Amino acid sequence: MGAVGPTRIEVLHLYKQLIKNSRLFNDYNFREFFLRRSRESFKANKHLNDSQAIIDCYNRGLEDLSVLKRQSIISQLYTFDKLVVEPLKGSR
Amino acid sequence: MIRGTRGRLVGLFRSSALLRNNSRIYNNYNRRRDVLVLKSLDHVRCYSAAVSAVKKLVDDVSLEIHTDIQAAAKEQSEVRNNAASTSNKESKTESEAAILSSSNALKHAYQENTGFGTRPIYLDMQATTPTDPRVLDTMMKFFTGLYGNPHSNTHAYGWETNKEIEKARKHVADLINADPKEIIFTSGATESNNTVVKGVARFYKKTKNHIITTRTEHKCVLEAARSMMNEGFEITFLSVDENGLIDLEDLKKNIRPTTCLVSVMAVNNEIGVLQPIKEIGEICRKNKVFFHTDAAQAYGKIPMDVNKMNIDLLSISSHKIYGPKGIGALYVRRRPRVRLEPLLSGGGQERGLRSGTLAPPLVAGFGEAARLMKQEYESDHKHITELSDRLTKGLLSVEHATLNGSPSHRYPGCVNVSFAYVEGESLLMALRDIALSSGSACTSASLEPSYVLHALGKDDALAHSSIRFGIGRFTTNEEVDYVIKAIVERVKYLRELSPLWEMVQEGIDLDSIQWSGH
Amino acid sequence: MFKNIFRTTASLATRSVVITTRPTYVAPSFIRLYSASALNKEDVTKRVVDVIRKFDKSLANSQIEPKSLFHKDLGLDSLDTVELLVAIEEEFDLQLPDKVADELKSVGETVDYIISNPEAN
Repeated sequence: MGAVGPTRIEVLHLYKQLIKNSRLFNDYNFREFFLRRSRESFKANKHLNDSQAIIDCYNRGLEDLSVLKRQSIISQLYTFDKLVVEPLKGSR
Repeated sequence: MIRGTRGRLVGLFRSSALLRNNSRIYNNYNRRRDVLVLKSLDHVRCYSAAVSAVKKLVDDVSLEIHTDIQAAAKEQSEVRNNAASTSNKESKTESEAAILSSSNALKHAYQENTGFGTRPIYLDMQATTPTDPRVLDTMMKFFTGLYGNPHSNTHAYGWETNKEIEKARKHVADLINADPKEIIFTSGATESNNTVVKGVARFYKKTKNHIITTRTEHKCVLEAARSMMNEGFEITFLSVDENGLIDLEDLKKNIRPTTCLVSVMAVNNEIGVLQPIKEIGEICRKNKVFFHTDAAQAYGKIPMDVNKMNIDLLSISSHKIYGPKGIGALYVRRRPRVRLEPLLSGGGQERGLRSGTLAPPLVAGFGEAARLMKQEYESDHKHITELSDRLTKGLLSVEHATLNGSPSHRYPGCVNVSFAYVEGESLLMALRDIALSSGSACTSASLEPSYVLHALGKDDALAHSSIRFGIGRFTTNEEVDYVIKAIVERVKYLRELSPLWEMVQEGIDLDSIQWSGH
Repeated sequence: MFKNIFRTTASLATRSVVITTRPTYVAPSFIRLYSASALNKEDVTKRVVDVIRKFDKSLANSQIEPKSLFHKDLGLDSLDTVELLVAIEEEFDLQLPDKVADELKSVGETVDYIISNPEAN
């Protein structure tokens, strides 16, 4: 015991960062996937009560965020044509 | 100058999170410069001179590399058109003309779709899957720093790489409830299958001379088995029913005292049918015959447990589970021990079964892909099933469209549908905005229908008109809706051009017609 | 010694994030043009509502007014609201500090904040 979990604001901030970095993916499929997964996993753990479980989830989220930060950059460095389902303007 | 360029690179690396556009890099570069000046005071003087040169470089060089799929597609089609027009200038048949005119007409359909991109939707997940960015992230460090040979045990470079290899091996093993020691890394499922079929047969050739497999296996198993015929083996190719499933009684009947191996694939690559692996495993264990399953399409996508299912050998491919291409694995049971003769002779790596230095980036990427398959199983399964149901429903709403293979025993991510009275090739041509494959593996003009669909008892015409849709982790709802709409429209369009369809509409029984000519 | 340098690097790097994303550094004369002329309440409200409609397809045809509350009226939970505000940040090219974002409960409050923010455009 004694472990202090992240605050509400911290969790929301992590969520915001995950969403923001997911949106940066140039690749449509990766972008949509990471947005979907971020939403899904946060919503699934919305009612988490156990403070250790919250800390674990939060730390995993931080790791994911660092991957997303690196990979969204790579996705912007190596780009491809837009998909036929992607509007060319105002896609985001 | 050199120092300046280096400084710029350092700046880019550290600030990579900001790399959204050139101006940002530029801003950041200036910040970096200040830091560097602080860092090495003795270089201050030469530095400012280098700055202007570097500034120019930053402005001139784009960091973004863009790959244009349209150019490649155009080139490809021009080559094809040229080849076609020179070879059969005179013998252009009516049907070819019809295909050409229809594809011309369909071009207009694309042009109406302005305001959208041009890259096709990828729905060929059975061929290969995109590499998950998280997998790439794991691989990157092997290209940047962790370059030691995992088999070098005299220094830290070898140890650190070896540690990562063993971590990956554990992830790969965990997914099928195996022991990491039972996993052999190979170049892919084709190599794994060859190792098994040839290796097991050769090891036991003094006492055994019979192999059982099925008619719907992947080409590499069929060909490997066929090549063992030359070495004096007898092969039984089990037939499948119209659902694509083998008959267990048939299997039992065919097992002989001299049978050394039964090889049945878990999920079929063309029709997605899932064989009763657990039951087959039981039969094989009872008869003391080794059971091999080619799980390239099943691994990580359906629950598999080598112990519960009594599997002795299992082939895995990395690039079907969002991992890198060029690597796979083979599970070889240790208790009771399965012995096989290795294909490659060499340094005796991988328990002596697969000599040659491992490729750590690929192995680590594969391991991460396997770990993710486990972690994401629930989510992937739910997502893929939803999309698959939606797609199947949408496609089967087309008249005379049939699902190939068992509707209940299947992996949902593979949907194979036949559209009667439409030529598969012309439909694929009309669907250039969707990356698909016809049921047959062959995409060339030889038009050989799929042997898998034949084995299911489908006739040539239906085998020709079938298309395989592969859904994966990264497929979206939007894409599926687009595909349904496109298929429905274009099947309708192509049928309107087809004289056969006209006859069907008039109620003529096509089987009653006596066809003349070729 | 190296530790110190690294710390400087880090702090400068984070600072430059802020700097680069704000148009404030372009040229002082631009700022006034940006904030004063481009944004009036009506436009901002319309743009915010458009973002909301695009964000949640189920809201495409429902009534969205300035007094609409994200949670109560639009059915967005705290996570949805965060995501919506990211979309709004992108639309108006601004950064909402976490404290401010957590306080925004309605369409009207968001519009007011955007108008009061000189960086928005």
